[in-house]
Order: sequence, then C-alpha cells, then structure tokens
Amino acid sequence: MERSEVRSLYLLAVFLACAYTVPFLVGAWAGTVRFDERWLGNLATVVVAGVMQGGVYAMFALGLTLIFGVMRIINAAHGEMVMMGAYLTWVCFFYLGVDPLLSMVLTLPVAFLFGVAVQKLLLNAVVGQPELTALLITFDLGLTMIYTAELIFTTDFRAIPYAPGTVHLTRTIAVGQNKVISFVLAVVISTAVYLFLKLSRLGKAVRATALNAEVAMVCGVDVRRIYLITTGFGAALAAAGGALVSIQFGFNPETGVVYTLQAFAIIVLGGRGNYMGALIGGLMLAVLENLVSLMVPNGTAVVELAAYGLMIFVLLIRPGGLMGVKEG
Amino acid sequence: MDGCSFAVPRGKISGLIGPNGSGKTTTFNLLTGLATPDSGEVIYRGENLAGLKPYQIFRKGVTRTFQVTRIFREMTVLENMLSVTGLDVPDRVARERAAELIAFVNLTHLRAEYGGRLSYGQQKLLEFARALMTDPDLILLDEPAAGVNRTLLQHLLDHIHRLEERGKTILIVEHDMGVIMNHCERIFVLDGGVKVAEGPPAEIQRDERVLEAYFGRRRVAGRTGGRRGAGAPPSEASEI
Amino acid sequence: MTRGEHLRNLALLGTSAIALAILPHALSVYLRSFALFTMMYVVLALAWNIVSGFTGYTSFGHVAFYGIGAYASAILTADYGWHWLPTLGVGAVLAAAVGAVIGYPVLRLKGPYFAIAMLGTAEGTRVIATVWDSLTHGGLGISFPSAENSLETYDAMLTLMLVTIVVAHVVGHSRFGISLNAIREDEVAAEALGINATLYKLAAFVLSAVFPAVAGGIQAYKVLYIDPPSVFFVQITIAMALMAMLGGKGTVIGPILGAVLLYTAQELTWVNFPTAHLIAYGLFIVLVARFMPRGLVGFAIDRGWVRKGMVH
Repeated sequence: MERSEVRSLYLLAVFLACAYTVPFLVGAWAGTVRFDERWLGNLATVVVAGVMQGGVYAMFALGLTLIFGVMRIINAAHGEMVMMGAYLTWVCFFYLGVDPLLSMVLTLPVAFLFGVAVQKLLLNAVVGQPELTALLITFDLGLTMIYTAELIFTTDFRAIPYAPGTVHLTRTIAVGQNKVISFVLAVVISTAVYLFLKLSRLGKAVRATALNAEVAMVCGVDVRRIYLITTGFGAALAAAGGALVSIQFGFNPETGVVYTLQAFAIIVLGGRGNYMGALIGGLMLAVLENLVSLMVPNGTAVVELAAYGLMIFVLLIRPGGLMGVKEG
Repeated sequence: MDGCSFAVPRGKISGLIGPNGSGKTTTFNLLTGLATPDSGEVIYRGENLAGLKPYQIFRKGVTRTFQVTRIFREMTVLENMLSVTGLDVPDRVARERAAELIAFVNLTHLRAEYGGRLSYGQQKLLEFARALMTDPDLILLDEPAAGVNRTLLQHLLDHIHRLEERGKTILIVEHDMGVIMNHCERIFVLDGGVKVAEGPPAEIQRDERVLEAYFGRRRVAGRTGGRRGAGAPPSEASEI
Repeated sequence: MTRGEHLRNLALLGTSAIALAILPHALSVYLRSFALFTMMYVVLALAWNIVSGFTGYTSFGHVAFYGIGAYASAILTADYGWHWLPTLGVGAVLAAAVGAVIGYPVLRLKGPYFAIAMLGTAEGTRVIATVWDSLTHGGLGISFPSAENSLETYDAMLTLMLVTIVVAHVVGHSRFGISLNAIREDEVAAEALGINATLYKLAAFVLSAVFPAVAGGIQAYKVLYIDPPSVFFVQITIAMALMAMLGGKGTVIGPILGAVLLYTAQELTWVNFPTAHLIAYGLFIVLVARFMPRGLVGFAIDRGWVRKGMVH
C-alpha cells in the first residue's frame, strides 16, 4: 500500500476506536453506565447480540455489495426489499401457517424473480450510465414499494413471534433463541452464496463480469443474463434478511429506509463490492448500534445516527472502506 | 516521475517529448497542481507552486490544455470561454476577449453550439482558445497538433509564435516531430519518468539516448534486444 | 441574455406577480391553498436546482433545510411568542449556517455518495428533531396559536417565490452560474481553469438552503401544526428533485414548469384516485428518470424551440 493509503487506514482505525468509545462516554455522562457484574453481563449480552444481528446485516449487505460490485448500481431500494421479505414471511406465517424459516423456500425465489424483473425492466438500461441515475430510479422504486406496502398492510407494526426462548451462552450472557437461529442461518446462507460465487461456473461468470464486463463478454459470458441473476440474488439475500429480521424485530413499511441506510453504511465501511468487507462491516455496525442503544439515552431513536455518522466519516476519511477498494 | 529536473526558458517555445507513458502529462499535472509532488519544487517566477491548488496556480498565469480535450460538453462555446475568466473581470471585457479568441480559431459560427457537438478538431481549437482567455504567461499545450488539419495547425503555430514574441513562455508536449523540431528552441526528452536529454533540436535529433528511449536499445547493430522503450511497437524495433 | 429578453422576462414576471397578488381574493380557500403549495414547490424546485442542477451535486436531503425553517418558525412563535415574520429570517440564517457546516465536508463526496450523504443528513435532522424534545417537543409536535392566515401566508409565499425566481435567474444567467455549470461538467478541468470549486460549490449549496427554509417557515405557520414526520417528509425531497428534473435541471424555467405541472398533476390524481395516487406517482418518477432525464426544457432545446445555453 502506498503511503497515503496506510495513513488513511490508520486514521480510519483511530476513528473507529473513538466511535466505539463514544457510547461509553455518553453513557457515563448520562448515568446509564454502571460497573457492576450484572451491568457488565448486560453489556456482554448486548455485544454478543450485536454480533449475531451483524450476521444478518452482513447477509443483506452482501446482496447490496453484490449488485454494486457487478453493475456499479447503488440499490436504494435494498432496504425495501428487506422489508418485502419480512412481509412475505409474515404473510406465509399468518395466512398459510408456514414456519418462517421454512417459508424462505418460497419467499427467496419470489424475491429472486422480483429482482430479475426490476433489473430487466428498469435497470438494465442504465447500467453504463452515471451511478446517480440508477440511484434515483431505485430510490423511487423503494418509495413506490413503501406506498404499496402501506396500501396493503397499513402502517401498523408487525412481528412474528418465534422461538421466544433464550439461549444461555455463559452464566451471564443470555441471547434470544431467535437471534441465535437467525445468526446461524445468516452464516449458512452467506457462506453458500460465497462458495457459489467462488466455485461454480455461474459464480465465476458473475465475478468476471464484476471485474470487467467487456472482457467477460468477449469470453462468452452473457453479461445481460448475469445482471439479471445478480439483482435476483441481491433481492433474495435482502429477502432472507427480511425473513430473519421479522422473527427478531417489529417492522412496518417505513423501516426499510433504515435498513437501506444500514446496508449503505456497511458496504461503505467494509468496502464497496467486497464480500469480506460486508461481513466485517455488518458485525461492526450491529455491535456499535447495540452499544448505542444500551448506553445512550433515547438510544433506539439515535441508532440511525450511528449508521449515518459512520458512513459519512468513512467516506471522508477512507472512501475505499476497511478493505481499501479503489474507484473505477 | 523519478527525480526529474529541468528549467524551461522564459519567453521561448520549448518542447517536451518522450514515448508513451514517459510522464509528459504527469509533468503537466505536477506543474498545474492537478498532482502534488512527493518531493521537489515547481519554481515559477521565484515562487514554489508545489502544493498549491490548481485554481491558485491558474490565477498566477499558468494555463494548460489537455491531451484528451476537457471542454465543457453541455455548455455552449461562448459559455466555455466565459467560464474561465475570474468574476472580477467585467462582463463586457470578458465577452470581447471571448469573441476575439473565438474568431481567431474560426468558431464564431458555432459559438451558440454545445461544446460536445463540435468535431474533435474544433474541440481542440476551443480548448486552445479557452486557455488563452486570461492572457496567461506560461502556456502548457498537451498535443495541440493531434486531430487538427495542416492549415489550421499552421494558423495555430503562427499564433503560438506571436505569443512568444509577446514574451509568453510556451511548453508543448507533442508526438508530431515536425512541430517540435521546427518550432521549439529547446527540447526536453523524458523516458520512464526521468529526463534523458535536453537541448536544441539539432542536438536532440542526433542524441543516442533519445533514439533509445523511442526505439529500444540495440545490442548488436541491426538486431534489437534488451529493454524496449515503453510503447514502441515490436515491428519497428526489429527493423533497426 | 439580450437586453430585450431581460425586459421581456421582467415584464412577464411583473404581470404574473400582479395577477397572482390579486388572485387569492377571487379564490376559494381550497384553491388559495393549492396556489400556495404550487408556489412553494416552485421555490423548492428552483432552490434545489441551484445546487443540484447547476453544480451537478445532486442532493437527496434538502428537506432538512425545509424542516429547519419550519421548526425555527414553530419554536419561536409558539414557545417564545415571536411574530412569525421575523422567524423566517432566523430560519434562513440557521439553514445557511447548517448548510455551511454540513456542506463543507459533504461536498467533497462525489455524485451518488453526496446524494446518499445528504439523504442521511435529512434523516439525521429528523432524528434530532424527534429526540431533542426539550427544544422541539419531539414526537408531539408543535402547535401554533391559531389564526386565519391564508391571505398572509399566501402573500408571503408569493413574495418568496418572486425573490427566488429573480435570484435563480440572476445566478443562472451570470458568469457565476457558468462557473457552477463548469464544475458540473468537469470539476477537475474547472479547477485547472481558475475556478475555486470548493468555494463556489459551498456558496451554491448555502444559497440553495436558504429558500427552502423560509418556505418551511411559511408552510408551518399555514398548517399551524408540525411534527417531525410531516416536516421531514422524504416525499418533499423527491418532489423537489423530480420537479426540477421534469422541467429541466440546470435551467431556470425548467424547475418552475416542472413544479407547476407536477403539483397540478399530483393534486388531480389525488382527487380522483386517492389511494393509488402515491403508487402512480412513484412509477411516474421512475419513468421520468429513465426516459426523460433532460426534462421538458431539454426536449425543447433539442427541437430547437429554445436556445442552447444560458448566456448568449
């Protein structure tokens, strides 16, 4: 790495370290921090829960980074696709009585097809154009999805009660069962996708297209089809994220906006187009968010600011993220 | 660039040549603030310009054109010209000068046309005219002859000479050796980021190192081998 | 523009101003409201255009300034008993300050990242408004002491619109405007040609923050009640962008046209298709972005009906 790269990485590390101490400082000032065993146990639980949630975040961020990596398109509707996954799961659960995890067998392919449709109808035409056009289009797509969801489901919050028990990882750390299951599934799915990209012929075609679409075309790759598949996968990953979110948190049509912001923050932090980066970013963001909501008064509302702040600072300090992705 | 050092004579036309990738455009970037040197200085009128922002350097009287034209495509020719003058210059003065320069490059009939709709040669002319709007003292021209027909090129060169007569300093990057050898008083030759030669055209034409930079080293007369100058096509090298 | 054209534009503006000033007395309250909203969107679209159309830094978060103006007006009127008119000035200054502080770092980001950062800014402002309830009453919102003010607010909005049009016109047809366009076309080349891009971008950004803030202040007073979601409504952001784009980004007439057309269309669809209109709206946006990125004015320019360029 050249000098300025090393310097920016160093700065980023320093910034992140500061970012993690901020919740503690605020908490100390606001009196929400207590250094007794129970509170520390709480803290540990929250961190572990963060790691687990991070796995889910990483998974749907993976979808976003995949789309960006292959087509240089920023999908501003990604959060809405997560939300769509959550609602689809909810529908399967409440109207068909299907276990939310099992219903992924149904919802993921549907999401995949949705992604393909979006790509075919809206995005294929703008792949080469400046990224802003796609951003605008997907942003509006997201808005339309929100409106549609509001029409069908109203703005009431929904959630799926599932696996309500807790798992005791140690004496003091107890995490909800649903979180653990989600984490495991997220890891499984992400790994499956990762292996697919690394090992299968189609996966290699996708990666080739990401590196250089023209060359890939010359080598016989049907680039248009790859684009469709990529967005399909991206949407499916988002929907999987939605399914796993639906069993942990409440959601309504507008929560998608926050997921989009989180996904952006994650891929910026980790490095756009970088899969490992999505994982690391996801974990880091989720842990930070949990620390904030534990220790900062009004934490749950301010959590969004954490994602936003993280993203802005990374863009200013080291736009390539932790993994140092270059432009172009 | 790698430890390169040279002095451009004031009030003269100089040439900067070298094979592709030798660092000519990088030199221009360093001189105009588009790139910052890790070490070293850029002295202009006794002042070190290294580290200044491009617009500051421009305001001191240094201007340039680009290898691939960077005119403003969705703006008209007139707007391209007017975008350059500082806001402290009164409107009337700016417009007069713009009209003058547009006429000089024969683009008056196109002054209300979008820059992007001009032919390549016309774009180059526009860029040349635009660079002269503020009456700069140091003019860096990056391949001004490329894509321009012979008549207009002669016209351009006449103007360049007139600029020289008025005391302007001009540095030209070119691949067209006719332009370089016949119009420059001093030539600097780069290769791989290093200056390999410097001097008047007659010397440069005979200089071994220059030939080597362009065509590659000869081990044995008539056969080529060893390091090739960057960008030299293989067939040419084997014909030496 | 030639002198003749300047005079013509001035005459046009003058007559419309007079017509619009007399108008409200002849209209029903509903139509008065409609006219006010249309004028507000003209202001918003024009202001957005100053930064996003001219410099090319597309902001998806200008609603933040609108919200700041609304809250400034609300807090000062409801909690501190100010008369609402001076609160508009405070809102404007506040928005300018915030614009300068936020703009400086954020304008260093390119294209879509700037857009996303601004989106986050708008969200962030909303969150702050919700959380800082000692100042903003949080989710409860703020109520103004009520009053029949439809004429007052109409006149205020009309004045604001006229000022905005004049400013946008002056900026757009000046050499400052050309410099902004140059930044949009090729920022590196613009810098190399003496344009202090950092300063100019920031100036355009701050300028574009002021008008939405005043509009927000007037609007808040009109509806007499605000709370974070209503004021930081993401649809306002998208409306600004869409109107400017529909009419023609980077021109002066464009945003005006776009605002009038789009808002009218929106009202008509709302009246006739109350539930589906938002979806239709969303789809419409997508279609415009996809098929008509240069807007109506761009279309007219291509056909030769309108001259190219802003300065002749």
